[in-house]
Amino acid sequence: MKAIIFDSSTLISFSMNGMFEELRKLKKMFDGKFLITLEVKGEIIDKPVTIKKYELEALMLNQLLEEKVLEMPDSVGVDNKQISIKTREISNIANNIFIANGKPMTLISDGETSCLALSNILNDKKITNVIAVDERTTRLLCEDPIALKKLFQKRFHTGINYKKENQKFLGNFKFIRSAELVYVINQKELTSLKDPRTLDAMIWAVRFKGCYISDDEIREIVSLGRKH
Amino acid sequence: MQEKGNILRILTEAKTAIKGNDTFKLKELSNQTIHTASIAQDPDNIAIAVIIYSLSKIIERGYDGTKNKCSKLCKDVIFSMNGIIEGIKEKNDVKLRNSMESLRKKLFKVSSKMKAYIQDVFTKASINKASKIYEHGISIEQTAKLLGITMFELAGYAGQKGELSEERFGEKTNVKARLKLAMEMFA
Repeated sequence: MKAIIFDSSTLISFSMNGMFEELRKLKKMFDGKFLITLEVKGEIIDKPVTIKKYELEALMLNQLLEEKVLEMPDSVGVDNKQISIKTREISNIANNIFIANGKPMTLISDGETSCLALSNILNDKKITNVIAVDERTTRLLCEDPIALKKLFQKRFHTGINYKKENQKFLGNFKFIRSAELVYVINQKELTSLKDPRTLDAMIWAVRFKGCYISDDEIREIVSLGRKH
Repeated sequence: MQEKGNILRILTEAKTAIKGNDTFKLKELSNQTIHTASIAQDPDNIAIAVIIYSLSKIIERGYDGTKNKCSKLCKDVIFSMNGIIEGIKEKNDVKLRNSMESLRKKLFKVSSKMKAYIQDVFTKASINKASKIYEHGISIEQTAKLLGITMFELAGYAGQKGELSEERFGEKTNVKARLKLAMEMFA
């Protein structure tokens, strides 16, 4: 059993680009589950469905849930209570790593933290998993907190204290972005577009909808994609 | 409310800027507030940043072209700002919150034609301030939560920030390793 845990940011990138069919095809060839937590469901379906501007995206994402392209954690035997407890635990760690002006900085919210919590629970159950996160802070916090510290120092013009002892726990997560999923879509020929510029176009599209990726990274991914 | 000293200064300078129709100064003050608010994440600081930015836009437009309305609204806004300043100085949180609420209400107490415009200005101001907080390194979801907007609204804005994407933070996991991880999941 394998699982990809989707954060709101990645599903928002896909939905705002109308790439629902690509997600369906990805799931069809995936030997595992695409999971979302209750908190992520709130961000991508329950809240936007009440706002006319985003109602359609929310309904289409809800359709993916009804078709079981996206599934809730109970499909792998994890209940929401377990996730809530772990979310609180991780939130206490993650939001106390950096101290600015003597106060801990609240960096990530419940949706993002719940993805980390679910990944942690799946790791304990020996279920191979990655988290698909497009936004920058959650990924940097786990993969490269020193880079995040540099970003804070640059932006806040103040000393930032970093509690290294809180970091150990956060180093065990694996992340991909919509950019990498788009690469898989391209390599597995899951898009109906046949133009050689498709990969480039899809990566730029997800970047413009919130995927944190540099120009250099885009160039590298596109060049690697073309080799196949 | 946190960072009260800073807010006192911001409001005092904002009053002068409003009297002088100095919209550039108002925007600058709003950005200063959001800089402080990104660390403290205090909702009152964020609300003041949004209000000041919205005011700059409303003044820029000249309200609906009627100078009288402008001066009436300016006076009302300054009256409420004085209430906030007194509330902070007297350490009277009730007065402070009532004055904040009164300031918000005064901005919306305009003609129905203007109401939609001001609502739009407030939404855009919230997204603008959210993007500033996001630039400071706070996550998209946390930022959206602070400003009371959806992640959908912020996602489009965050993606268009070229400056952020030019910086290569997070070098530890390189492109090839992340692609390999993704391809392996689908093997």
